[in-house]
Amino acid sequence: MTYAVGNTIAREFIDGFRSSQIWGMLGWDDIRQRYRRSLLGPFWITLSMGVFIMLLGVIYARLFKTDIAIYLPYLSVGLVTWGFIATATTESCRAFQEGERILKQIKLPYGVYVLRVVWRNVVIFFHTIIIFIPVAVLFNVEPTWYAFLALPGMALIYINQVWVAFVLAILCSRYRDIMPVVTTAVQILMFATPIMYFRESLGDSAWIADINPLYHLIELVRAPLLGTPPAMLSWEVAISTAIMGTSLALALLVRTSRRIVFWV
Amino acid sequence: MARIFLNNLSVDIPIYDVGAASLKRALLGRAIGGRFSQAGSIVTVKALKNLSLEANVGDRIALVGDNGSGKSTLLRVLSSVYPATAGTVLVDGHVSPMFEATLGMNMDATGLENIRMSGTIWGMTRAQIESSMDEIADFTELGSYLEVPVRTYSNGMLLRLAFAIATVRDPEIMLIDEVIGVGDQKFFAKAFARLQGVIQRSQILVVASHADDILRVLCNKALWLDHGILVEYGDSETVMTAYRTPEVVTTQPHSETQPHSQWSPKIGVPAN
Repeated sequence: MTYAVGNTIAREFIDGFRSSQIWGMLGWDDIRQRYRRSLLGPFWITLSMGVFIMLLGVIYARLFKTDIAIYLPYLSVGLVTWGFIATATTESCRAFQEGERILKQIKLPYGVYVLRVVWRNVVIFFHTIIIFIPVAVLFNVEPTWYAFLALPGMALIYINQVWVAFVLAILCSRYRDIMPVVTTAVQILMFATPIMYFRESLGDSAWIADINPLYHLIELVRAPLLGTPPAMLSWEVAISTAIMGTSLALALLVRTSRRIVFWV
Repeated sequence: MARIFLNNLSVDIPIYDVGAASLKRALLGRAIGGRFSQAGSIVTVKALKNLSLEANVGDRIALVGDNGSGKSTLLRVLSSVYPATAGTVLVDGHVSPMFEATLGMNMDATGLENIRMSGTIWGMTRAQIESSMDEIADFTELGSYLEVPVRTYSNGMLLRLAFAIATVRDPEIMLIDEVIGVGDQKFFAKAFARLQGVIQRSQILVVASHADDILRVLCNKALWLDHGILVEYGDSETVMTAYRTPEVVTTQPHSETQPHSQWSPKIGVPAN
C-alpha cells in the first residue's frame, strides 16, 4: 500500500515539478498567446495594472482621507500579490480541462498541468510587481534590508498556491459546479482581506484579518517591501498552511489520480 | 528489450452525466436521503474484458475491430493514459503514441514554434529538438510556411507537420491510432516510406486502423477485438481475413413466419 502511495506521489507530484521544461514552456506560451501581435506584448499586463493602481490609489486615498504617499505603495504591493493569488486560484479550477488534449493522449505527470497554471501567473506577477519600483521612488519609500525578506515570502505564497491549485484542479474536474463558488469566494475575500484598507482601520475587528491566511501571505511580501519585518504570526500561519495544505493535496492526489483522466 | 505483457486486463470507463458531475446534487442526495436520489447517473462501460496479450521485439500488431470494440482503449492503456481496472499491465520500453496527429498544436503559433512545443511535450530536450529541426523541416516540405501561424495551413499541411514531428524520434514501442490513411496521395506515399523507416527502427508496433492494405504491409500479427473481448490473435493474414469475412446468416422463408396479409403496413390498404 505505501509503495503505491509513494509511487503516485513520485509519479504525479515530484515528477511534475521535475518536468519544468514542459510546464515552463506551456505556461509561457499561454502568455505569448494572449499578447501575440499586440504592440507591447506581455507588458500590457504591466501597463494595465499600473493604470488600475494609480486610479484606485488616487480615489481611495481621498475617500479614506489617507496620505497618498503611504496609501499608494501599500495598495500597489497588495493588489499585485492579490492578483497572483486570485487569478492562479480561479484558473487552477480548469487546469486539467485546459490540458485535456494532451492529457488524453500521452501520460504526463498531473503536476505538469497544475504547475503550468501557477507558473504563468508567476510570470504575470513579475511583470506587475515591477510597478512598485517607480511607485516607491515617487513616494520616497525608504529601501531597507528587510526588503529581501519579501523573497522567502514570495516562495511561501508559491508553495501555498501550488497545493491549492492541486486541490482545486482535482475537485473541479470531478464536480463541475465548484468553480463558480470559487470565483465568488475569491471576490468576497478581496474585500475581507486588508488590501485596499489597513488592518488597523478594522479597530476592534482586526481579528477578521488575523484569522485570514491570505492576509498573512500578502503581509509577508508587503511589509518587507514597505520597510518593516512581517509579524512572526504571519510566518507561522504561512508555513503551517503550507505543510497542512500540501499534505491534503497529496492525500487527495493519491486517492483520485487513477480516475482523473475519466473526469476531464 | 521492449516488451508488452497484459494479463487478464479489464478496463471499465465511467461516464458521468451532468447530474453526476454536480457537487450540489451529490450533497443534496445524501442530505435528503435515498428517495430523492438526484445524484445523477454514472454509466460504466466495460471497454476491455479479461484481455491477455504478450508482445515481444519484432511484433508488429494490427488492431482490428469494429468501432467501439476497444482498440483506442487498449492503445491508451499501453501508453499509460488509462489505468487498468483489473489485471496486470507491464510495458517495458519507451512508448511513442501517435493518437491525434495534432498533439498539443497551438493554432496561432508558427510551424517552427509548434515543432519545438510538441518536441518538448514528448520529452525531447532542447538540444535534441534543435539538432533534428532541419530534418523535420525538410520532411514537411512546407518551406517558408513554417514561419507562419499554423491556423493558415490546410489539413494536408497540418498532417505533414504533425507526422514529421511524430516520426522524428526512434521509438521502442510505437502506438498509432487511426492517424494513417489520411492526407493527399503524394504526401501519403512519402509519409508511408518514412513511417516504415521508423517502424523498422521500433521494436514493437501496435496500429489501429481500418486501412487494410497498409496494415497488411506494416504488420506481421493482428489482434481482433470485439466489444472489449479478444477474439483472435495471431498471424496478420489469418486474423484479418477472419475479421473481414462476413458472417453467414440463415433465415427462414417468409411465409412460414409471418402471414403476408398481416404484414402490409401501407396506408389506405385495409389489413385483413
